[in-house]
Amino acid sequence: MGTRGRERMKQSSLSIDTLREVVRTLPKNGLTPSREAAVAHLDEHGLPTLRDEDWKYTDLSPVVDISNRWLTAGGQQQLPKPPSETIAAITSSIDAAWLVISNGTIDEQSVGALKQKGVEVSRFSDAPSEFVMSRPLADLNAALLQDGLRVRVTESIEKPIGILIVDRAGDSVAVAQSCVEIEVGSGVSADFIEYHASEGDADHYANTVLSIAVGDRADVRHVRIQNRSVRHVQTGRTSITAGREARLRMASYDLGGGLIRNDVDIDISEPGADITFDGLYLAGDGQHIDNHTRVDHRVGPATSSQEYRGILKGNCRCVWNGKAIVHKGADGTDASQANHNLLLSDKAEIDTKPELEIYADEVKCSHGTTVGQLDETALFYLRARGLDKRHATQILTHAFAADIVLRAPVAGVKDAITAIVEARLAELIEADAAADLLS
Amino acid sequence: MATESENLESLVNRRYEHGFITDIETDSLPPGLNEDVVRAISARKHEPPFMLEWRLQAYRQWLEMKEPKWAHVHYPKIDYNEISYFSAPKSDEDRPKSLDEVDPKLLETYDKLGIPLHERARLAGVAVDAVFDSVSVATTFKEKLSEAGVIFCSFSEAVQEYPDLVQKYLGTVVPRRDNFFAALNAAVFSDGSFVYIPKGVRCPMELSTYFRINAANTGQFERTLIIADEGSHVSYLEGCTAPMRDENQLHAAVVELIALKDAEIKYSTVQNWYPGDENGVGGIYNFVTKRGDCRGANSKISWTQVETGSAITWKYPSCLLRGDNSVGEFYSVAVANNMQQADTGTKMIHIGRNTSSTIVSKGISAGRAENAYRGLVRVMPQAHGARNHTQCDSLLIGKQCGAHTFPYMEIKNPSARVEHEATTSKISADQLFYCRQRGLSEEDAVNMIVNGFCKEVFKELPMEFAVEAQALLNVSLEGAVG
Repeated sequence: MGTRGRERMKQSSLSIDTLREVVRTLPKNGLTPSREAAVAHLDEHGLPTLRDEDWKYTDLSPVVDISNRWLTAGGQQQLPKPPSETIAAITSSIDAAWLVISNGTIDEQSVGALKQKGVEVSRFSDAPSEFVMSRPLADLNAALLQDGLRVRVTESIEKPIGILIVDRAGDSVAVAQSCVEIEVGSGVSADFIEYHASEGDADHYANTVLSIAVGDRADVRHVRIQNRSVRHVQTGRTSITAGREARLRMASYDLGGGLIRNDVDIDISEPGADITFDGLYLAGDGQHIDNHTRVDHRVGPATSSQEYRGILKGNCRCVWNGKAIVHKGADGTDASQANHNLLLSDKAEIDTKPELEIYADEVKCSHGTTVGQLDETALFYLRARGLDKRHATQILTHAFAADIVLRAPVAGVKDAITAIVEARLAELIEADAAADLLS
Repeated sequence: MATESENLESLVNRRYEHGFITDIETDSLPPGLNEDVVRAISARKHEPPFMLEWRLQAYRQWLEMKEPKWAHVHYPKIDYNEISYFSAPKSDEDRPKSLDEVDPKLLETYDKLGIPLHERARLAGVAVDAVFDSVSVATTFKEKLSEAGVIFCSFSEAVQEYPDLVQKYLGTVVPRRDNFFAALNAAVFSDGSFVYIPKGVRCPMELSTYFRINAANTGQFERTLIIADEGSHVSYLEGCTAPMRDENQLHAAVVELIALKDAEIKYSTVQNWYPGDENGVGGIYNFVTKRGDCRGANSKISWTQVETGSAITWKYPSCLLRGDNSVGEFYSVAVANNMQQADTGTKMIHIGRNTSSTIVSKGISAGRAENAYRGLVRVMPQAHGARNHTQCDSLLIGKQCGAHTFPYMEIKNPSARVEHEATTSKISADQLFYCRQRGLSEEDAVNMIVNGFCKEVFKELPMEFAVEAQALLNVSLEGAVG
């Protein structure tokens, strides 16, 4: 272990020895070499701490704590499955061909049931990919992963492919890893829905890794909905590579989760890519939602544009960090970033940081961030027309969120998103109304 | 374009104008840093015991600190034991009573820099406390200032004459262990300026200090302390150039500003230290801590900076907005050409109620330079009604340079209104063509466009400084467009 590794270990203190023991108990298969490499890498680098610039605002102590307790208890893999009603409630609300991963275990039935022309689903254990030195949390994922899913789309598909990552915390602490690799072939058009849900009272930590390789001239739309229990912790990394003239539309909705950290990395190494990704986060008491995005423009021309919006209510904290790097020679890059936040309570905190690193000159880059509260004049206008404060607040916050909701790139999912966003906003504002009555 | 490029190339290759060495005997300490050096500096300056104690504590804290690594700059490791921590012109023993007594060689230096001290001082009504290397050698207009009750003197003098004021305010804005370079400065600072504006006084003239680094291998550790008592007003100008040297020189200054109730401090800087040659050899490392404390209600601190020099700039003039209704401002033009690296910006910490801050940052990158804006806007939970607007623009000239923005916003109060806008652009061929078609040379066209880009900041500078800054900018960017 290098000095740097040792230093970090002191702070994050993920028990590597226990991890190694648990990894040894996993069945020997094609994933074994990458598991060992991941443990070694993790041993060297440790988990990030608040001293790491990228983790300045998000303390991973709950992740370390839950993981250590779970590892010490033997790192049980066969965790309770969520009841089929929970799964059915989600899969029936959105029309898609669903692949289900519950508590880190791939649901074989769902894999078998997915029979779409032009779609091949396989497991990592059948044909393992080589371990690539990665980020610490992705290392943890690779070390403990039971099995991963690989989805190849070779022909354009009409029906979206849904990936449901659903967890249930039973009586004891649990940790679940999931990993999905998506490959979309040249000129193929495809829709994806990624849905996260969890239930149960015990502490739960889910760690997800998703990669999407968008082929040349492919057209991909991706919607991510995260509606976990506010008691649970999730970290996720989404890595995207864009082919020549690839087009990608993404939208991400964070509604639940106690501690949520999303890392989205987009790598543009072929000219002509056109990428839009938007996000909405709604946070209430006890929630911490952190979105980190990074776009590497390695060649031009290419366009990337992102807009994240947040509504914060109660004792909560949100973090947004958008980074666009325009590498040397990436002329013709057009990158824009925007982050807008509504702070609706005294105890809410937003830490926002739009970063640009530019090493080319034929570029158009801009970013804008705002933090504020509801417009007094707009509230007054509505109240003067007979609406009470709660209704007026509701209308204005809905309007603020609607921009991102309406941008959901998969048409069939808009209703479902509208419904859960409305329900969550009602909860947040309802709490406010109750507090108003008391005060 | 080919011939123009050649012309411009020759301009690029022009050497730094202010690169010359004045040959004056200096009384330096041998290189190295330990407690004895700290004691020696304190003893040479006949400091009272509290200063020595303060320095020693800073030194001990510094030993435990690590050099920061987060800035977007790269430089070889600095050996702090190779630096000589004290260098004073020989004439220190018997200070000149007036300009006539000043070493003529020194005056010559100022002439070469285009600062005819007496003339300039009289004509422009500016009092100049010129810092040559580390010790003040000439102070003018003292009488006029003392009539108004304004104290404007070198730091060493202040320690002797006004120890109570120094002890009361020193280190209250930038504590000894604030950061690695501030701690180093606190331990070994040689001199600097001290300003005190009494209650209700509007300083009758703009105060100015010209810094100049001279002896080779001499770290320059200035410390400036400005206190504006209730209801007072002061405008302070700081400007610098440095002679050409091949070895990198470290400059770790600290500036502390304190504005009490209803007071206003305007601090303007033109920084033009030697940036190194076109291959990045030599040049000053400028690692500076500048911070203003709006301690009283309705106080205001305004920073304006034009940064064209130094091989590496690492500088974040900040405002602690503690008083209710206090105002912080930061206007900056940072130019990086050739191999220069700049990581500069500001911090606005909103603590009191109804505080507001404005940030306007213009970064210009040319050659193979790296220019980063790094700024923090923090609104504390109790800071009701805080308002910030940040505008941060980058201009790229050439394909080898980099322009970066790292704005941090930490908002803990819902009544805050914080806005950040940033753009990155280049001088377009269309703009140049338009200007050229109207008979401007390419160089003039670039200057005009760049000056337009920086106008918002220049208009914040005092008149004579603005003219100088504009000229400086033109020189700094000579040949940047090919």
